[in-house]
Amino acid sequence: MDTHLEMRGIGKRFGHVDALADVNLAVARGEFVCLLGPSGCGKTTLLRIIAGFEQASAGQLLLDGQEINHVAPHLRGFGMVFQSLALFPHMTVAENIAYGMKLKGVAPAQRASRVEELLHMVQLPAIADRPVSALSGGQRQRVAIARALAVPPKLFLLDEPLSALDAQLRDSMQIELRQLQQQFGVTTIVVTHDQHEAMMLADRLVVLKGGRVQQCDAPSAVYRKPANAFVAEFLGAANLLPGVVRGPDQIEILGRSVALPTRLATGTAVTLALRSEDIRFEINDTGTPKRPNGMAGEIDFLRDLGAKSELILKCGEARLRCHGSDALFQQARCGQKVEVLFDAERCSVFAD
Amino acid sequence: MAAVFSQRRTSAHRGSFGIVMTALAVLGLAIAALPVVVILIMSFSGGTTLDFPPQSLSLRWYVSAIDVLFGEKSEGSMSAFSALGSSLAVGVLTMLTTVLVCVPLSYSLVRSRGRWRQSAELLFTLPIVFPLVVLGVAYLLMTEAFSQQTGVDPGLTRLAIPHITLALPFVLRNCISAMSGVGIELEEAAQSLGASPMRALLHVVVPLMKPGIMAGMIFAFIISFNEFTVTFFMYTIDVRTLPIWMYSRTVSSLDPTTLAISTLIIALDVALIAWVDKLVAGKGSLF
Repeated sequence: MDTHLEMRGIGKRFGHVDALADVNLAVARGEFVCLLGPSGCGKTTLLRIIAGFEQASAGQLLLDGQEINHVAPHLRGFGMVFQSLALFPHMTVAENIAYGMKLKGVAPAQRASRVEELLHMVQLPAIADRPVSALSGGQRQRVAIARALAVPPKLFLLDEPLSALDAQLRDSMQIELRQLQQQFGVTTIVVTHDQHEAMMLADRLVVLKGGRVQQCDAPSAVYRKPANAFVAEFLGAANLLPGVVRGPDQIEILGRSVALPTRLATGTAVTLALRSEDIRFEINDTGTPKRPNGMAGEIDFLRDLGAKSELILKCGEARLRCHGSDALFQQARCGQKVEVLFDAERCSVFAD
Repeated sequence: MAAVFSQRRTSAHRGSFGIVMTALAVLGLAIAALPVVVILIMSFSGGTTLDFPPQSLSLRWYVSAIDVLFGEKSEGSMSAFSALGSSLAVGVLTMLTTVLVCVPLSYSLVRSRGRWRQSAELLFTLPIVFPLVVLGVAYLLMTEAFSQQTGVDPGLTRLAIPHITLALPFVLRNCISAMSGVGIELEEAAQSLGASPMRALLHVVVPLMKPGIMAGMIFAFIISFNEFTVTFFMYTIDVRTLPIWMYSRTVSSLDPTTLAISTLIIALDVALIAWVDKLVAGKGSLF
């Protein structure tokens, strides 16, 4: 792997709180990495350390093998898109985009043609002379991206770049951003709390919680094989069920022993993560499950969302969310007695 | 439904409550404006005395005022002219010094995360609550001690320094409120594009603070130009301002020339305040 940026044991303390602890990460040249986690997980702090606006309390930050911990932000040459976008309100669109080039001493004529080129790339021709205040949210977003890319940056950093946009615009901007990144081939690190956005954009996800890396892998791998219960829940609203290992490949869940592949020792307390799209059910009025892994339950809540139906199944004490769109879901009624089924291959078991 | 409700509320506003509020507003305005109105009317008096209301109207006192200030022959014209010059010089000096102090000061106050920010703000606002007479005595003692011990004549600075003290809180308030509107991420954005912290400050922060800075400068000038109490302790034969000259003239001979000069000064103040209002429109309060 051609490592472009490397973090070795990065830590950050604010007073007595560890905002980040022992972050190790190597980012390949041209890779799109997404820092993902709930608010307060340290993802923005990590991005600010990379940008140089915060100093790491521990560890090394290396760019092409050179330590850059103490290089001032303006000397790093990283393009950054801020959460608030931070467009200069006293400058026009063109002046905003050309600001970095002006500092570099690029001739005015070249600056103007580069601004034109960039505005075409972000699909905003003919707005160069407008004041920033006259732009819509989506337009501002694109101008901020164009500004950060105007002087080709060594790293492209984005802090929750799409959080201010409405859902529909966010969707199309995600695709555009991904295409733009591939077009430029620039190493990119984006911070987000939105797992859908993260999976849409990134080559690799870095899931953070409490300042520590929980998992770092390709989006599909993180989704299919979550490293722990937190990751499973954060990516895809999984149902978490407590259980105990009762023997080889036997786990007791909700008072019933089911066959699940596990290598954990007998007696280990575990958490079982079940995705809502992986739970099935069939009508069963008898109250006793017919299938080996089946569990008796009842439909507690039902909502038709158009494209799919969302429902909550009550299984003893547990309430399981599930959704689907097939005929069974269409016929389901509240209060119906059902047998809840799940595929052993598709659930994850974590030792507590 | 909504329309009916809003109509009701509007008509309630125009009821007894509205009448009382309007009356109070008119009363307040009248109290504030009355002295100005009286001076304005008297300055157009045709008589030679200060009888109110004047028997006839004329522009003779304006002619006299211009003559006193700028004419060559009239008695006392030299001192009036030099007083005007001192006033302008001290005003400009106060204006520039306070801004040069307050822009960096407001920057460090707003950007500092610590707890001392509020106490520091309070400290710099202290001159507002100082009794002006005490301040005058204090500055007189200090200035005299300074010039006796060093043999240096402070010149205009004997007035400028107290004026700076008095104007500083107002300028600082303006600069702080302007600075608060400039998010730190704007500076960081400039830095990420390659601007050094100093350049980010000059290219982004200062231009965005400009309306607040300008308002502060104008305030500083007005405060200095109108200041009387402390200046009364500090002035000398050579260094005196227009308000001091006007006071001396009024004490010796009560003629409407002074009122004409006052009207001219008020006109200048109003023009400047209108400019401030335009500068800071929609950008927070002045005080």
